[in-house]
Amino acid sequence: MSDPMIALTLLALLIGLLATGVWVAVSLTIVGLASLMFFSNAPSGLVLASTFWGHSHSWPLTALPLFILMGEILLRSRMSDDLFTGLAPWLSRAPGRLLHVNVFGCSIFAAVSGSSAATAATIGRMSIPELTKRGYPESLIIGTLAGSATLGLLIPPSIILIVYGVATEQSIARLFIAGILPALMLITLFAGYVAVRAWLNPDLIPPMEQSYSLKQKLRASRRLLPVALLIAGVIGSIYGGLASPTDAAALGVVLATILAWGSGGFSWGKFGAAVMSATRTSCMIALILLGAAFLSVSMGFTGLPRNLAAWISDMNLSVSSLLVALTIFFIVLGCFLDGISVIVLTTSIIMPMVTAVGIDPLWFGIYLVIVVEMSQITPPVGFNLFVIQGLTGIDILRIAKAAFPFFLLLLLGVAMICIFPQIVTVLPNMMGN
Amino acid sequence: MGRILQKTYDLCGAIAGGLILCICLLISAQIILNAFGRFSPGTLPSTIPSYADFSGFMLAGATFLALAHTLRAGGHIRVNLVTGRLPERAQFVLEGLVLLLAAALIGYAAWFLGGLVVESLHYGDVSNGIVPVALWIPQSVAAFGLGLLLVAILHTFVDLVQAGKPILSTPDEV
Repeated sequence: MSDPMIALTLLALLIGLLATGVWVAVSLTIVGLASLMFFSNAPSGLVLASTFWGHSHSWPLTALPLFILMGEILLRSRMSDDLFTGLAPWLSRAPGRLLHVNVFGCSIFAAVSGSSAATAATIGRMSIPELTKRGYPESLIIGTLAGSATLGLLIPPSIILIVYGVATEQSIARLFIAGILPALMLITLFAGYVAVRAWLNPDLIPPMEQSYSLKQKLRASRRLLPVALLIAGVIGSIYGGLASPTDAAALGVVLATILAWGSGGFSWGKFGAAVMSATRTSCMIALILLGAAFLSVSMGFTGLPRNLAAWISDMNLSVSSLLVALTIFFIVLGCFLDGISVIVLTTSIIMPMVTAVGIDPLWFGIYLVIVVEMSQITPPVGFNLFVIQGLTGIDILRIAKAAFPFFLLLLLGVAMICIFPQIVTVLPNMMGN
Repeated sequence: MGRILQKTYDLCGAIAGGLILCICLLISAQIILNAFGRFSPGTLPSTIPSYADFSGFMLAGATFLALAHTLRAGGHIRVNLVTGRLPERAQFVLEGLVLLLAAALIGYAAWFLGGLVVESLHYGDVSNGIVPVALWIPQSVAAFGLGLLLVAILHTFVDLVQAGKPILSTPDEV
């Protein structure tokens, strides 16, 4: 069989397996196995065993369960309740008023949790009833929530950036730091959009209820201060080179536990639930990573990605047209697959092609994460849409419609980092090694 | 029988959770030693030997031991976009096929990981850190975890046949 035929056969097999509901990790492994057995001479069982073992105990991967655990602990602490009361007084004068609680609440929570769905659920649980009660328009409440919660993927510590870093052997510390400026840019875009909408149509936003003195503001947000310190500690120690992401994650778990106990309402039962939930999530992600690692190794034996890369470079595509094509491809893929699966599939098959045309893998990671963020709010498979549907009972297509402006803002964000790649690279370059 | 198996999965899941906590404690201890080393050098040893290796092995243990528990809790991701729209009878048959296919693959993987353990024992392979760890020890935990996952998949297949209707779920959170 010729290369394109082999590639199409394997792709059809993968789509068939995923569509029939075979677990993602199992599907990846089966496709890897099929390509080794039929299109190479490598001993498939031995390669499978040594890849599964070899990729299961790396030091960078150790950050994964720890950061998940940190988020799970804070999710169950009082912090999520404090975010609304702590942020509202500061934002009551801004154009768009309390809608910004969604944007900034999600951003802060994203900085302690690496998951976008958990961010949407935690912030939405308290902001949706509060904002609806005050008469804010439904489409903007849902839109800001769905859009801003996707920042959970980009703002460090990000689970999906750990997955990308482990799968492509990039420094996770540098990926985390590279995510900071693009995340700030997206927060500005989201807040700016809300402000412009409010400014164009002042009737949309209910009037201010009360004004707060500085003292009242500080008092309302005093409980947010420890969280802010935790975030600054974790990110600062990575940026300053004091700690590897794995070290920072372990310290983050200890500090989050102390914070949760200190703010009250935390119990051993909640702690146990947090540990078990983190164990399951990390096990699920690790198994997908093992499947993806095996698929990458098998693909290496068949030589397909290398030939694909050569074929693409022979076409003399410009970097920008390749990126446009890839963006469309990922948006379509993201309609049907979850973010982690999109990332691992990319790294197994498309990575050689990306490096062949001279795209910086660090930059590409951030680009990929923003594109995956868009897929979180596109139907039919958009995890944030599911979460908000669960919270409000509103039809998923109506939620997707409310989130659509934020989809466009994310697309604008992608365009911005393509035109100005410095937004991504300037901070990690300043970090040195 | 079913209940004893479920207890086994949950026990191994709990051990996995314990291992994650141990990783956290081990690394935190190392960070404290680092801090001591900076402020008053010499009072305490500066490093826990091979702590990165031990963390890695505990991570592998946590991942493999939690596999069966995660499967039974519906924690592994699958796409149900297409199957969710099929009639119940077709879903039932598909889930049976999916479980048998997964059982075959995991059985294959468990068998060859077992082979890896035997090989490590035979050649006396050790990790190359300061503290040499015999590799067959963590590897056999991995092989055991995959074996238990195989049992859990077959167990779910039996549950499916007994229920006579589709039972697989998928997590809604990533």
